[in-house]
Amino acid sequence: MARADLSYAAAIVGACESNEIGYPEERGPKVTSLQHHIEAIKNVSDYTGIPISDIEGVFSAGWSSELCEHLGLRPKYIDTTAVGGCSFQIHCHHALAAIYAGIIDIAVVSHGEAGWSYRGQTGRGGGGGEVSPGYEATAAYGTFGAPSQYSHAMVRHNHKYGTSPEDFAHISVVTREWATLNPRALMFSKDTNPFGGPITVEDVMNARVISWPLTLFHCCLVTDHGGAVILTNPDIARSLKSNPVWIRGAGESMGHSNMVEMADFTATSAQHSARTAYAMAGLSAADIEMAMIYDSFTITAGMTAEMLGLAPRGKGYTLWKEGHAAPGGRLPINTNGGGLSFNHSGMYGMQLLVEAYRQMSRTAEDGVNGIEGKQVDASNCIVNGTGGTLSTTGTLILEADDA
Amino acid sequence: MAYDKPIPRKGQHTKPFWDGAKEGKLVIPRCKECNRVHWYPRLICPYCHSMDLEWIEASGEGWLYTFAVQHRAFGPWAAEVPYVTAFIDLKEGDRMMTVLRGVDANKPEDIKIGSLVKVEFEKADEDTYIPFWRVVGDV
Ligand SMILES: [Zn+2]
Repeated sequence: MARADLSYAAAIVGACESNEIGYPEERGPKVTSLQHHIEAIKNVSDYTGIPISDIEGVFSAGWSSELCEHLGLRPKYIDTTAVGGCSFQIHCHHALAAIYAGIIDIAVVSHGEAGWSYRGQTGRGGGGGEVSPGYEATAAYGTFGAPSQYSHAMVRHNHKYGTSPEDFAHISVVTREWATLNPRALMFSKDTNPFGGPITVEDVMNARVISWPLTLFHCCLVTDHGGAVILTNPDIARSLKSNPVWIRGAGESMGHSNMVEMADFTATSAQHSARTAYAMAGLSAADIEMAMIYDSFTITAGMTAEMLGLAPRGKGYTLWKEGHAAPGGRLPINTNGGGLSFNHSGMYGMQLLVEAYRQMSRTAEDGVNGIEGKQVDASNCIVNGTGGTLSTTGTLILEADDA
Repeated sequence: MAYDKPIPRKGQHTKPFWDGAKEGKLVIPRCKECNRVHWYPRLICPYCHSMDLEWIEASGEGWLYTFAVQHRAFGPWAAEVPYVTAFIDLKEGDRMMTVLRGVDANKPEDIKIGSLVKVEFEKADEDTYIPFWRVVGDV
């Protein structure tokens, strides 16, 4: 069904190019793809009189995270759809929908491709072979992979709030408790994995050190996973044999792309994506009955609980340590056993969605509260994904049909 | 001994930094409009979006913001474990990543956030002097 109400819902108010197009080398130095992007954005900002800092949505063929970081933007809408030459028409379509929906008022669609200057080199589009200055600034120091980065956040949290790695170990212990209720979880039992079954804080602290203070049991699994969800409109949703779970709120944001740009190592952009989602839902953190929180590491989950307002700053870990997040607790968290003990394939956001749907649609195992198809006595669920190095966040507030 | 760690590939927007490093100087970008420094180098000031930028010689001093001890690494760094990585707050503002020197990786509890640190450069090849930071004072 075409949406007639989207026509006239947005306008293009300026269109500019970068300073040196064509064969820049005939007039001066080579131009990088990043430079094409930044110059064009600066030029269209000047042309329209719209300050760059007013841009709320960034649309590009794969560059949006780097562009936002380079520009110091904290966007509310990030789109990196990269489907070849028509990407930019599609970006306009997506921006139209986002503006119509009231998610953003000002969007930039940006293109930068050093197809000639960096010809013959592989990489993004025609402008491959370039070095990102953010990467260049950190490449010498032998940090590789997520654990080597996230450990710095744990140390800063411990310093700032007087917390300890033991406090965060409780997150692993409680999440494992949930895994022992989920037969699909890798760590369900000693039968599913030699390291499976219940664990203690001592087990977590005595495990092999990966990146101090993170031990192996502070870190997520590495597994395979596939998943998919379907969304549709309310009329169709009510006509199906499956149970609908409603999206009551949604928000997104980012803080940085490279960790060296993270302003406060104890805070993520989940505070912003959650604020948007709560406002859309007309709910506050006090209304939330269960949570699915990305737990690539214990620090990720503990810190994110604070960002979602589920606990005061510096106190996120207490949800687990005091048993609130555990089976039978007042605020169940990561009921599938989490990335720590269920499954983590690298990008864990789909696992969060599948589990939230299972609980909200009553298609999970009968659980500890004696409710059919539910492990929890919850009618709503906040779902928060975290990407990169505590970089990017997306928050959903889902609600059961029988809420 | 020849430098055996990964040497960053240099882009085309960072030459003044590497030129400075060769002379033992920490050279970083500053915005002529709002006067704030930033790291890593940008094509545009990330604070006020002016493109009128300059390179300045920084003091080469800062404070330890946070750190971690790497017990697992890849490539040549694997031979160095455990070693301490850190983020440094520059006296002029903004933050750099580094491998921290002047500390004992086996005694992380003795490493103090807020310690005074100073930059030093190690020759990696003719054109590349890598900045490392060393703890030189207490909190
Ligand atoms: Zn500025």
